[in-house]
Amino acid sequence: MEYLFTIWVIVTLNFLLPRAMPGDPFLYLSADEGQEMARFSEEQRQYYLEYYGLDRPVAAQYLSYLSDLLRGNLGYSLYYNEPVSTIILRRLPWTTFLVIAAVLLSTVFGTILGSMSAWYREKWPDKFLFFCLILLSEVPAFLLGLVLLFTFAAGLGLFPLSGAITHFASYSSWWEKLLDILHHAFLPVMALTIARVGGMYLLSRNSMTTVLEKDYLRTAWAKGLPKKRIIFRHALRNAMLPIVTRVFLSLGSLVGGAILVENVFAYPGLGHLMREAVMVHDYPLVQGIFLVVTICVLLANFLADLVYRKLDPRIGDYSGIHGG
Amino acid sequence: MLVKIVERVKEFSLPGKASLVVILVFLLVAILAPYISIHPHNISSGPPLLPPGGGHPLGTDELGIDLWAQICYGARVSLLVGFGTALLAALGGGLIGIVSGYLGGWPDKVLMRLIDIMIILPDLPVMIVLAAFFGPSLLNIILVLALFSWVFPARIVRSQILMLKERSYIKSAETYGAGVWYLMWKHFLPEVFPLVAVNMIRLSGRAIVAEAGLSFLGLGDPTSKSWGLIIHHATNFKGIYYTDFWKWWLLYPWLALIIMVISLAFISRELERMVDPRMGR
Repeated sequence: MEYLFTIWVIVTLNFLLPRAMPGDPFLYLSADEGQEMARFSEEQRQYYLEYYGLDRPVAAQYLSYLSDLLRGNLGYSLYYNEPVSTIILRRLPWTTFLVIAAVLLSTVFGTILGSMSAWYREKWPDKFLFFCLILLSEVPAFLLGLVLLFTFAAGLGLFPLSGAITHFASYSSWWEKLLDILHHAFLPVMALTIARVGGMYLLSRNSMTTVLEKDYLRTAWAKGLPKKRIIFRHALRNAMLPIVTRVFLSLGSLVGGAILVENVFAYPGLGHLMREAVMVHDYPLVQGIFLVVTICVLLANFLADLVYRKLDPRIGDYSGIHGG
Repeated sequence: MLVKIVERVKEFSLPGKASLVVILVFLLVAILAPYISIHPHNISSGPPLLPPGGGHPLGTDELGIDLWAQICYGARVSLLVGFGTALLAALGGGLIGIVSGYLGGWPDKVLMRLIDIMIILPDLPVMIVLAAFFGPSLLNIILVLALFSWVFPARIVRSQILMLKERSYIKSAETYGAGVWYLMWKHFLPEVFPLVAVNMIRLSGRAIVAEAGLSFLGLGDPTSKSWGLIIHHATNFKGIYYTDFWKWWLLYPWLALIIMVISLAFISRELERMVDPRMGR
């Protein structure tokens, strides 16, 4: 419910923004680059106002905007000369790929390191990991990306400088293409993962420490269960819940990081496209990307809510007892 | 209050003390920028792309502008954005937290829902859109960042007020007829202030990173020479990958940013541990 409401607010803001913009949007649309100002006769002006539907009352414009959106029509990109939705759909997979890979890797590594730390609490491995990862968790992803780019791509030449696949390359098999894609994605994904692993580490370390002190773990030890079984079956499973929540809560900041990192590596995802669109004043495209990115993040969180209810029976149904 | 803070500083760990010194140095550099920068920060003062040494301690960029001067003035931008955002967010968020916590009922519910959503929303796309439509200015950037930051102080203040409301000394003050404003000034604010102040340091770190990111994209305030903007110019220089220019042009603004952000984080971590022993680890 609140998600729907938020999406409505965002969509409406998106509608109002260009109309609240200082200056005449009409001039932006009609003036060529380099040309100071387009001169139109009153008749031409009237014609274009009608053409873009700008002469109708705002409410009517709003309604047609909403119905366009529902049909997936995000407008037309003047710079790329293509419908906005087509361009976005072409770029979206790359961003999704980066984000999902970074989420998975950072969660896995963060949890492993966090559990190790909790296991050796207050001993040297814990202290060492704690210091290193706290330091890492504060470094923003795009600054890390710059380091990776200049050492591994520009300096050592191990990775390509930009792009997601080699242009004009012909592959003899599908796995060769896959390898090429992974080769290009490696550094951006690493930058995002390293920037995030610290946060996941801290969380899982806390979560694991709390679980390790629980009575049922003492019981498990007393029963003489093997160590592996205790860690994975009894401790980690219960420690995972807060970690899963956090993964989705911080998706927004990860997307922000991905936008920046894509620009570091000239990776052809939505973030790179968004910056290009701003630079060439392609407003429908900027707005389209903004809408798609925001709604994707909201949807992911909505799904997470559903999954979380399933995972944790204590907050399951509304009708039952509110535990915890 | 101030004396207490100074006493507390002695309890800082070594990284904490070092961070404090670093931030103080940055503050000094920012304040004294016109006096210590030697060369002007906005016009050319030598041959382009000069390596560090000689008259230019950190070298020059592609227009021959001295990098040390740019970094000095960049410290001003970073600190202004950081503390401006934190101050706005703390004031707004603090007020909202007090309203939410003290009134309860439906205003509280509405505000809490709003906070839940604001935490999820990605802030960078919004900042890019606003920068695209309204033109990037430092004030706009600070406003947008504050719009996305107030939720953290609001949450802290709310939970603190909820806790305090149930304390017996507040209850007894209320039965003696203490008004809302009296309670606020005498009891709530002194308790809440340290927590918010500590959170402000964390918020300014976030804001500095966000501004740097926006400037790196080329969407920051083009008239302010911020560190992010130097990085933007450096990475957009055609031959940067194949030459040695990055060794000063890119490295020094990068270092300045990293050191600033990490120092702020360490200080806030240290303070969080002191204000609330349960929060620190």
